[in-house]
Amino acid sequence: MTPPAGLGSSQLEIITMKTVKGIETLGAWILGALWFLPVVFAFWSAFHPAEYSTNFELFAPLTFDNFVRAWGYAPFPRYLLNTFFLVTMILAAQFVLCTLAAYSFARFNFVGKNVLFALVLLQLMIMPEVLLVENYRTISSMGLLDTIPAIGFPYMASAFGIFLLRQSFKTIPNELVEAAQVEGVSAIGILWKVYVPLARSTYIAYGLVSVSYHWNNFLWPLVITQSVNSRPLTVGLAIFGAPESGVDWSIITAATVMTMAPLLIAFILFQRQFVQSFMHSGIK
Amino acid sequence: MSAITLTDVCKSWDDFEALKNINFTCEEGKLLVLLGPSGCGKSTTLRLIAGLESPTSGSIRIGDRDVTNLPPVKRDISMVFQNYALFPHLNVAENILFGLKARKVNKAEQEKRLKDAAGILGLDIFLGRKPAQLSGGQRQRVALGRAIVAHVPVCLMDEPLSNLDAKLRQEMRQEIRSLQQRLGMTMVYVTHDQVEAMTIADKIILMKDGGIEQHGTPAELYNKPATAFTGNFIGNPPMNILKPTKEMLSLCNTMIPDSVRGEKLLIGVRPENIELREEDGCEVTVVATEYLGADTLITCRVKEQTFILSRQGRLVFSDGETIKVGWSLEHTHLFNSADGKRIELQGGGK
Repeated sequence: MTPPAGLGSSQLEIITMKTVKGIETLGAWILGALWFLPVVFAFWSAFHPAEYSTNFELFAPLTFDNFVRAWGYAPFPRYLLNTFFLVTMILAAQFVLCTLAAYSFARFNFVGKNVLFALVLLQLMIMPEVLLVENYRTISSMGLLDTIPAIGFPYMASAFGIFLLRQSFKTIPNELVEAAQVEGVSAIGILWKVYVPLARSTYIAYGLVSVSYHWNNFLWPLVITQSVNSRPLTVGLAIFGAPESGVDWSIITAATVMTMAPLLIAFILFQRQFVQSFMHSGIK
Repeated sequence: MSAITLTDVCKSWDDFEALKNINFTCEEGKLLVLLGPSGCGKSTTLRLIAGLESPTSGSIRIGDRDVTNLPPVKRDISMVFQNYALFPHLNVAENILFGLKARKVNKAEQEKRLKDAAGILGLDIFLGRKPAQLSGGQRQRVALGRAIVAHVPVCLMDEPLSNLDAKLRQEMRQEIRSLQQRLGMTMVYVTHDQVEAMTIADKIILMKDGGIEQHGTPAELYNKPATAFTGNFIGNPPMNILKPTKEMLSLCNTMIPDSVRGEKLLIGVRPENIELREEDGCEVTVVATEYLGADTLITCRVKEQTFILSRQGRLVFSDGETIKVGWSLEHTHLFNSADGKRIELQGGGK
């Protein structure tokens, strides 16, 4: 039996679905391009002589000269090391603190639990910039001005981390915990052998967010550091944009590429795991 | 020494009384089934024995020790959970050995017990797999494996078969039963499925609303239900519980001794004990017939009350047809309609 001529309702539906799908794909491409164009520009400008930085010629000569000059302008190895220390220290401290806090919120009942958790959530709603002055005062009174831990301290007890891990811990079936209890595993053992392994994807996802945020963080490190010994990459990079040194796009982009390269390479290498972790942990 | 004894155990949460004065003993090496509808307190009872909850009052003994205030690990028990409680990040071998590692049993002993358990359960080729790669029945076996390697005398099971399909459930319950007997474990087994309870139990405790309805062997529960609730819960199709209206009394007029006539009664009779009669039966109307293969279930009505009778083979009646039925005195169970308790017939029945 052939259907009658003209469009049946099911055919119409299929066409509508295809159109919607097409628009979605187009939207995704546009957003992707918007995100990617500055990166493309940075690479283009970084690998070509200054005169080509704002005009496009397919066969313009390639050069590493910009990198060499940028490398010479500022102590990049030191900055890189500082940033590396900074993100590692913050991440390690966040994992420890957030895990313990999230575990107590997820599993134990104590007086004032809900009030405390509300306070943690409140912290999520305050922009860190608002606390710039107060944080400076605190760090200063601790005598830690211009040190790497000073950059990290305000971020270690991350409300986002606590919230995320608590949510992920709460999805772990109580049966697994009880099975461990019957076998005589202690409260800390249960955290270590049951909760942490089962929340692995949340840890990966959160780690990615944390590392990229602190790798790129600028304002607070700029305020709290003064010397080469503690400045991270982003602050070091800022001297290229300072008016007194003139705006040289080639060098700025070369330095930028150097700054983001480690993260970009790591992301490309572990792309699949990252995406899966995000799907699992429900952060999108 | 691994008999389990509960004495005057109560459990309540805020103003909700989950268990009221529970007293029973599960003898060593026996399989006791806690049976009942959901919310009757059977799982709570099991969790109290396991030590996952503590009783509001009363005491629990395992063997000659009072374990009321001991944590689970000190009670020498193993437990199998409804959803198997397998750790998704560990493979089968690691899951089975989880408890032994936690208790720091030495490596050689671990290997030996793992090998034995895997042999018994047919898990040898799956030891390297993750739980996600196993079927429901295999996961169930891994959970059993964990209980076996613990080498403890008491095993507690919380609805272990409720996630399996009917055929697998039948296989696994036989397997659990033979395992329990072979290893001589004292087992407390929670289920809401009366068929499961009837087939594997040495003793059954039927619970309702936080109390014990009846404690006995499967045959006792079936043949001599202590309450109308027990009669209705055990057996498939369930026992017919009828009100002694005028019609119903006339239907079984000859069967109720005068000695109990005055009391408010409920009459219980099992579907398989109702006979079709040619002459002296009473007339009832057929409402529906269901043919099940081996049996036919016939739903009949007398005035407002309906009851089911079951006969072997295939019987064909048209709806609305009038048939004659009856049953003998020994198959009549009488219950007090006020509290549902059984009334013994003097000199009658078993």
